[in-house]
Amino acid sequence: MDKLFLLAMNGLIWGLIIALIALGLAIIFGLLDIINLAHGDFFMVGTVLAWATLQSTGSFWLAFIVAPLVGFLLGALIQRLIIQPIHNAAALSIVATFGLSLILQESVRITYGPTPGRILSPIPGTMPMFGVDYEVYRLFAAAVAILLIGGFFLFLNHTQLGTWMRAVRHDRDTAVAMGIPAGRVYVLTFGIGFALAAVGGVVAAPITTVDFRGGVDILPFCFMAVIIGGLGNLPGTAAAAVLLAFLEGIIQSVADPTVARIASLVLMSAVLLLRPQGLFKGFTR
Amino acid sequence: MSAATIERSLWVVLAAFMIAVPWLIPALINSFWVSVIAEILIWSLFAASVNLLFGYVGLLSFGQALYFGFGMYGVAIGIQDFHLSFWPAFGLGIVASMAMAFLTGIFAVRLTWHYFAIITVVFSLIFYFLALTNKWLTGGDDGINFSLPPTFNVGGFNKSLTDSTFQYFFILVTVTFCLWLMQRLIASPLGKALVAIRDNDVRASLIGLNVYRLRLIAFVLAGFLAGVAGALFAFFGRYASASYMFYHVSGEAVVWAIVGGAGTLLGPLVGTTLFIIVREVVSTHWEHHSLIVGAVAVLVVLFAPKGVVGSWNDWIARIAERAEAPSVTAKLRTDP
Amino acid sequence: MSEPVLHTEGLTKRFGGLTAVDNLRFSLDGSRLHAIIGPNGAGKTTFFNLVSGLLTTSAGRVFFRGQDITGLRPHQISRLGIKRTLQIKSVFPKLTVAENLWITRRAGHGALHPFRAAMTDRETTQTVQHTLAQIGLSALANRQAGTLSYGDVALLEIGMAVISAPRLLLLDEPTCGMSPAETERAVDKIRELARTIDIIIIEHDMEVVFEIADDITVMAQGAILASGIPKDIAADERVREAYLGRDEDEDYVEEAAHAQA
Repeated sequence: MDKLFLLAMNGLIWGLIIALIALGLAIIFGLLDIINLAHGDFFMVGTVLAWATLQSTGSFWLAFIVAPLVGFLLGALIQRLIIQPIHNAAALSIVATFGLSLILQESVRITYGPTPGRILSPIPGTMPMFGVDYEVYRLFAAAVAILLIGGFFLFLNHTQLGTWMRAVRHDRDTAVAMGIPAGRVYVLTFGIGFALAAVGGVVAAPITTVDFRGGVDILPFCFMAVIIGGLGNLPGTAAAAVLLAFLEGIIQSVADPTVARIASLVLMSAVLLLRPQGLFKGFTR
Repeated sequence: MSAATIERSLWVVLAAFMIAVPWLIPALINSFWVSVIAEILIWSLFAASVNLLFGYVGLLSFGQALYFGFGMYGVAIGIQDFHLSFWPAFGLGIVASMAMAFLTGIFAVRLTWHYFAIITVVFSLIFYFLALTNKWLTGGDDGINFSLPPTFNVGGFNKSLTDSTFQYFFILVTVTFCLWLMQRLIASPLGKALVAIRDNDVRASLIGLNVYRLRLIAFVLAGFLAGVAGALFAFFGRYASASYMFYHVSGEAVVWAIVGGAGTLLGPLVGTTLFIIVREVVSTHWEHHSLIVGAVAVLVVLFAPKGVVGSWNDWIARIAERAEAPSVTAKLRTDP
Repeated sequence: MSEPVLHTEGLTKRFGGLTAVDNLRFSLDGSRLHAIIGPNGAGKTTFFNLVSGLLTTSAGRVFFRGQDITGLRPHQISRLGIKRTLQIKSVFPKLTVAENLWITRRAGHGALHPFRAAMTDRETTQTVQHTLAQIGLSALANRQAGTLSYGDVALLEIGMAVISAPRLLLLDEPTCGMSPAETERAVDKIRELARTIDIIIIEHDMEVVFEIADDITVMAQGAILASGIPKDIAADERVREAYLGRDEDEDYVEEAAHAQA
């Protein structure tokens, strides 16, 4: 029973973090129509930035500013230099993001090194919960994730840029005709997408490893959340991420973690084939 | 010298080179590179399976490693667990990969574009994880090692792949045969129909083509190519491992096919050769050759999306056009 | 007169809250060129999409020479002999003109052999040459279809429609976007084809319509407003009010209204 609680709780909290990252993928996939194979590596870069900030300034908290900033700039740059020129050829952009993924992984391997490292939890200690001593940092991470996700939706619904993003996603041509600078929106969207993944990396860094391969596992999970939640359905994506991680956590208490992953993948295939608009309807817009 | 003559002479040179390799290469460099070239041939076939689907049918599959894996494991498990001899094991690998392609294709081909690419990855991931967890069968990431039965054991004629020259020629003949089949397919009515579907699938259905069925056929044929490559790979290394079913393997093949030139016959060969040579040469001095793979992928997509062979074809075509043009202006001058 | 070539009963198509085609009862008799006209959004192309199988019906049935073809998939309907062109000219851009015709012919007839070389099929190659001559594109046989001018693409489309030996031809705004010279060429071809093939044509160009149509159906808001011979349609008050009330059409309309039937 304790094990079940632990794994379920871990799953729930991990799901909140993934939701943050997956929202970044959702806006890139939903708005720019790009299958971003490098998105997991954006997360990984976030964990590395957390480690680097900690190393050079001694403060982990500073990473919450550094990572999204650097992520945003990198994302905007990538969109402008690589994605924009090949906007018309969807297949080629998949290849480009695959190449980008390799570049990011190897660059980190060169600078940070091949051995996985750990970041000590900035909030040490545990707290008794339901008969288990639960890590305080994880609870904090969950709270931060919820805050950031909430902030993102506030941004989307109440700022001009957010409105522009929703307009361009809804109907690009009308948006352009109304004077919205679609090109600039694309650049900012990619930047925000990277930033979301990077900040997710910061939040996750103390409870996972800092490893150049850290993104490989995250990528399929994000796509699962986006597809099962429904393309274009941002709240759905977040909900799907939480649900999937939670379910995987529960399955892990009775079976191999790989079995849990296989189950999620099968569910994803079913959704793709039978209900491509996602499982959560009525949340759109 | 016309474009056709240039092309034909290049073919002859290539053929002569490929046949001379087991003697030429050890003389020029060393005999290790003969097996590198053999490996290049195997991976080219794999890249060709990606190229068939993407270059000619317009379907980008990021999951061909699944069928490669079934070909590979078909041979390995056939030899180790079922004690099959060479040819039955080869057959098992091919049948397994084609069957897998059929079963997954039934579902995958219903989708288009992004969703098709995504589901090919998902299917290959599912089986990758299944292969990982079923170590009793697949050996997981560590894989299975097996000893190689002889290829021919008829009367006094005994040949096995342990003879590296024979191995090279066996691989060369098999790969050439498969590429020749692919070429025949492209030039056939079925091939033309596939290209039409790629160009405009709505129009294709309006002229009477069963788009779903044709795409499925192409998918199974691509599975065949990937499966043969996987089987050859197992024979070549006497080894099979789940790590070759991971989506990175599929992704690299996509890069090779596109850099080489999607939609061309030699594109996959050129692309694969380039990257594997870079890998072999670079990795002796620097272990981060993946960085080069990534950078080249991005650069090619940005500046030369038709790939090496595609750009070459364009260049040749432009020269041929320029050669024709002068006669037109000459005609005009004679008008009153 | 035997049964109609094309006949629909209660044909309806709803898109969510919008009814694009409403309880349509349409009938095409053999050996007549039937034109469908009407304002934008009247449901004309949706009607074609329903007949050719690109859209599924919400209600109603479609009969082709007495056979119920409701619900069949597009390639099946195509193989029954119903061929159509699309409103936005659509061919196979990377194939050459000759290859476009070639694949259209083979797609409708028999199996596609996977390995024998395509060019050994002499029957098809000859038919392609013949059709090229018919539509006047022989000189452009080896040009990539994507590089053709708009007018030539339209002719190619008509050629593709013809080469497959259609039993019913649906032409969706064939002269749309053409220059007057190109329009004249296309109209001549269509008139020639109409001698041997049953044709339904959607058109906006009133001059063309009144020149070649034997029957006219006027659609508006998904339903049939009026149907009959050109003379009667031109004289119909509702039609004039709803659709024909444009100055440039006045002449043809007047002419048709006073013409001998």
